[in-house]
Amino acid sequence: MLFLKKYKKYKHPYVTTSIIILSFLAFLSLFAPVLTDYNPVRNDARNRLQPPSRQHILGTDQFGRDIFTRILYGLRTSMQVGLAVVILTVFFGGIVGITAGYYPEIDKVVMRILDAMMAFPGIIIAISLAAVWGAGKLNIILALSFAYFPKMARIVRSAVISIKDLDYVDSARAAGAGDLRIIFKYILKNSASPIMVQATFNFALAILDEAALSFLGVGIMPPAPSLGAMVTDARTYMVVAPWMILAPGIMIVLAVLSLNLLGDGLRDLLDPHLKNTLKK
Amino acid sequence: MKKKEINITAVFLTAVLFFLLFSGSVLAQSEDRFGGRLNTAFQMSVAHLDSDNSTDSLITAMMNHVYEGLFEFDENLKLTPHLAESYQVGEDGLVYEVKLREDVMMHNGQIMEADDVVASFRRWLELNNGGQLVSPYFDRVEKVDRFNIRFKFEEAYAPFLNILASPVSNQKFVVRAEEVVEEFGSDVIDRHVGTGPYKYEEWVPDQKLVLTRFEDYSPSPREGSFFAGERIPYLDEIVFNFIPDAQVRVSGVQTGQFHFAEEVPRDQYQIFEMDQNIKNVIIYPDRMSMLIFNNAEAPFDNKYARQAVAYALDFEELGYAMIGDQQFWRLESALHEEGNPWHVPDAGEGIYGVYDPEKAKELLEKAGYDGQPLVILSGQDNQMERQGAIAIQDQLEKIGIEVELQLFDRPTVVEKRANKEGWHIHLSPFIKVVPDPQIHQGWTGTNKWISNWDSEESREMDRLFAEMLREVDQEERYQIVEKMQAELWDSVPYFNILDYSRLHIRRTELKNFKSGWQPFFWNTYLE
Repeated sequence: MLFLKKYKKYKHPYVTTSIIILSFLAFLSLFAPVLTDYNPVRNDARNRLQPPSRQHILGTDQFGRDIFTRILYGLRTSMQVGLAVVILTVFFGGIVGITAGYYPEIDKVVMRILDAMMAFPGIIIAISLAAVWGAGKLNIILALSFAYFPKMARIVRSAVISIKDLDYVDSARAAGAGDLRIIFKYILKNSASPIMVQATFNFALAILDEAALSFLGVGIMPPAPSLGAMVTDARTYMVVAPWMILAPGIMIVLAVLSLNLLGDGLRDLLDPHLKNTLKK
Repeated sequence: MKKKEINITAVFLTAVLFFLLFSGSVLAQSEDRFGGRLNTAFQMSVAHLDSDNSTDSLITAMMNHVYEGLFEFDENLKLTPHLAESYQVGEDGLVYEVKLREDVMMHNGQIMEADDVVASFRRWLELNNGGQLVSPYFDRVEKVDRFNIRFKFEEAYAPFLNILASPVSNQKFVVRAEEVVEEFGSDVIDRHVGTGPYKYEEWVPDQKLVLTRFEDYSPSPREGSFFAGERIPYLDEIVFNFIPDAQVRVSGVQTGQFHFAEEVPRDQYQIFEMDQNIKNVIIYPDRMSMLIFNNAEAPFDNKYARQAVAYALDFEELGYAMIGDQQFWRLESALHEEGNPWHVPDAGEGIYGVYDPEKAKELLEKAGYDGQPLVILSGQDNQMERQGAIAIQDQLEKIGIEVELQLFDRPTVVEKRANKEGWHIHLSPFIKVVPDPQIHQGWTGTNKWISNWDSEESREMDRLFAEMLREVDQEERYQIVEKMQAELWDSVPYFNILDYSRLHIRRTELKNFKSGWQPFFWNTYLE
């Protein structure tokens, strides 16, 4: 693996920090049922808006639900959405990008359509789709993937175009390799780095946009926990129960920040032109 | 010696000075109250200002300053003649004779006469929801002479006067100038000539409504009490600003931009309490949260299943989850609040507020519930509807019922709940303070409103209402109301979970503010 080799060589501080934070968050979300005794959706309204204490280390919300528990499960939701969106965008963006990049005839038509789609801000597309399809986890994943995949397609396409006329591709063709073999064996393998970088950014963006959609009320349906929806609920209680807004807010910041750092670090490590900016 | 004289003179002079100051302030006191511009923040904008053409209660709330009714309710929900001087009801309940006050000046500089009232009444009867309730029983309205009117009915209609003065949404009958009624007919009125203490000045849609004092206002000779009696326009100008965001309304009052803000978050009560410039205005619980079943669809086409839900819910826990602090809600099983003449104290005894999950399970079994998921349909913009639905889902899930929550914006909810299928439980806020049990006719009985209640029980309810309509005697009517409450708690087509208050805030410089079910600003003044 190119990336691991380079990381061992350069010890990029961004990447180190982000990996530490990310593994912590992944630990929290994976082991949520072990880390807490509470159920994220069961109410106990008689103990609503309790400040942090030994029973509830991050306090309780307006239904008396444990905020720490809800954050763990909210993080789970965020991670699931992020991961699913990344897989879907890489898959569909990849297919569209490769076809467009490899076959110039298709390129003209497909890229104009994608251009038109990219003229709209991603979050607007996602909001309108979520509004039409209705809220819910699956719908958000589909809406966000739909909003992000044109950009991914564009990145894949440019990578394919820059590689497909290189000499080693020509020689592979001369040796009688078919289109599929050329695409997967020679082109895709060598255009992995921009795709990886973009996928990381998409992951962060998906988490942020899921929070935004839930904040606007078209995201995860209550009572299922979502970091964005927790921030919306907390808005009313900001002055009387500040712990309600701080905890999910900090979680969103941590998740998005670490993913963005990772993306930046990956770009530095994998881009040959930026190699000189790194300390040896 | 000299020193002492000076002292005496000084004491005397001081005394005189104090006397002058004191008497001056006494004389000036009531004069001083006049003047000032009041800035208020209301939560919703209105589409227009014609109460007969809308169901928006805010229109009535604001235009109460411009228009007045023949009858108005006082603090104790007692019907009081307002623009009317006196009235008589015929023995059979078919004829109402109303004598008008003869000195009432309208905003166009003319004296209010029977013609104005008759024209306004005909329009109300045709367009207004309240009028439409009355019209099937109504015969005609006649002008007897310049200041006397006769209302004639084909069938006795007991709640007539109560509906004329009804504080519910837009039901109230108000008197407009005849020329305006003739000019606009059934179209939306945008030139306002009434009899109220304030005149219409300016309306900027979605932004503000400005009213100015009507200098020639003729107040009622009765003592002022809420909407009835004397109204004194101390303020020069009242501005209703439309500010949808609650936090903006709050900070407007905190910074002194507004003197009054309607419906602010109840959970910030403590913060307002600590602010010396702000007073909390807790409105007497004037809303009830109503749980409505879809009586047409299984499992709630069976009354045992409906009763089961009442047993399955912990109402107190719901109070905390839906509303919050205990001072803003209270459990109440009757449709009319305590203090209301129609209050039935022991309504729902044995089922209301009895938390018994085991009995609920038994009843569900008896009803043949097959474990299908139940759909709760509720609004997401109102705290009571949103949090109530989430809390009810939680409690039903605790006894093993699968629940699907559907939260939408208001228009979508209204559209979906109108369908006979696709939902099982719906939450809706109702106005609690209603003057007459007949008001509930609109949503009770066979296939009325949205509950899709159509069974032997609903036909029984229809019979009760028909009986109530004809009964003019208060005592007899009360007994019918008791029967109605008993019937409602037996077949439970819908039920009241609890009553809750709203919280307004005002600046301390706004004096003599009375917290009526709709905010009003006559008799208030700025210091």
